[in-house]
Amino acid sequence: MSSINNISWQDAKDLFRTWRENNERKSEDVIYIWKSALEYNLNKLGNEKQLVVEQVCIAALDCHRLDIAEFCIRYLNKEFPYSLRVEKYKAMILEAQERYEEALDILENIINADKTNSAARKRIVAIFKAQGRNVEAIKQLTEYLKTYMTDNEAWQELSELYIAEQDFQKAAFCVEELILHSPHNHLLHQRYADIRYTQGGTENMELARAYYCQALKLNPNNMRALYGLYLATSNIATSSKYPSQKKKEATNLSEWALTEIKQRYKEKKVANIEDYIAALQIS
Amino acid sequence: MNDLIVDSNIRGWVFLPIVVITFLVGVLRHYISVLLASQKKIEIQQLQDSQVILRSRILRENARFIPKSSFNMRRLVFNNAENGYLTQKRENAAPNMMTDPSMMTDMLKGNITNVLPMIIIGGWINWMFSGFITTKVPFPLTLRFKPMLQRGIELSHLDASWVSSASWYFLNVFGLRSIYALVLGENNAADQSKQMQDQMSGAAMAMPPDPKVAFKAEWEGLEIIEHQWALAEIENTMTAKDK
Repeated sequence: MSSINNISWQDAKDLFRTWRENNERKSEDVIYIWKSALEYNLNKLGNEKQLVVEQVCIAALDCHRLDIAEFCIRYLNKEFPYSLRVEKYKAMILEAQERYEEALDILENIINADKTNSAARKRIVAIFKAQGRNVEAIKQLTEYLKTYMTDNEAWQELSELYIAEQDFQKAAFCVEELILHSPHNHLLHQRYADIRYTQGGTENMELARAYYCQALKLNPNNMRALYGLYLATSNIATSSKYPSQKKKEATNLSEWALTEIKQRYKEKKVANIEDYIAALQIS
Repeated sequence: MNDLIVDSNIRGWVFLPIVVITFLVGVLRHYISVLLASQKKIEIQQLQDSQVILRSRILRENARFIPKSSFNMRRLVFNNAENGYLTQKRENAAPNMMTDPSMMTDMLKGNITNVLPMIIIGGWINWMFSGFITTKVPFPLTLRFKPMLQRGIELSHLDASWVSSASWYFLNVFGLRSIYALVLGENNAADQSKQMQDQMSGAAMAMPPDPKVAFKAEWEGLEIIEHQWALAEIENTMTAKDK
């Protein structure tokens, strides 16, 4: 593949197609190639023309190149005058200009025309989030998830919104849903443990410990999980609410975690790790 | 054995025209059906049903990765006796074919693009080009192939590898599929043989699947599953492995 500086339009077309298929956004590169190679060769693209324009449109919105975005939308609108998909892009450009109310109007129209249009509903959530109206975004997103309850990314977004609102119980629910979808992703287990640790309390602390362990088991190099495990276990070991048997186990585990951490740092040649860890401890 | 010699006018006025006509009719059919195709509206209820089933299946498969209380909470949402999603009572929503006009028009459109040209063009070709010997397959065939390859010519002494015009038309109808795929792209509507298959199995396919049956199966599956937390012993295995 030649570098993106002097790419021919044929190569650009192929490159764009691979990016589309792999869901790679690469907005800046897309805009760059569009400007240098594709803009004046648009009519040579054949039946991929509209797809490329759509891709460029999203990239332009990402890079705040509203002139390009407008050109793309005008082009698409001429090709497909009544398409809801183009309507969505009109809403997105308004959104990029922070004209949220107008964008919301367009999106509502789309939903009225087609009740199953999931993209428009997600855009509404994005607008609320951009405006900082988290509570309304959560409301919209839960409505959306009532129907599209297998939408993984929506669950993830909802969990992040709940964390931003510090509603950890519900955030934990969302992450559980994500774990159900992809039980072998160590980051999800780690995130779940993070939430449980933040919630605090005897049961949650034990859950946090278990899920940090699971994350570590899935990926032994997960440093955050290692630290989390150390914190959760030492919390259990020093708390007075647990029976002594459990405390003893926790002490063992925390010692194990500590030696593991030390080991990792020795590999990276960092001295005096104890001082850093002592600073982490919560009382 | 002195062989038959076919007039070269037959090649120009029968053999090639049949190929061209069948091909062009296929292309035309493709564009007409694209023009007539009505976009299938998905009911939001149907969408939700399928998503519920998917989610409950995932829950059953991966339940061991979430704590017991979380699992029970989810199961209750699905299986709660009073208002669980899988146990709810719902009126029979299966659309009635006779009362729903959109289904009738769909069927009519299907017939217009499938059956009608088949009859008309087939009849016209039969009438216009009947009785010609058009070509010869380059290998010997047994007598059994005579009704297949020599429709319209009832000559008992003719070698079975000669192909009559009507049979040539049918060979084209079924053999042009890959050419259509090349010209019109995949999933085109020009291919008749596929549509005939559809019509054979059409009776069973027309009914949308009843959600109640699937719900019942999911409900059962969720009821009998016993939650075993995969992480119950995880702490011990962690340290034991490394010691």
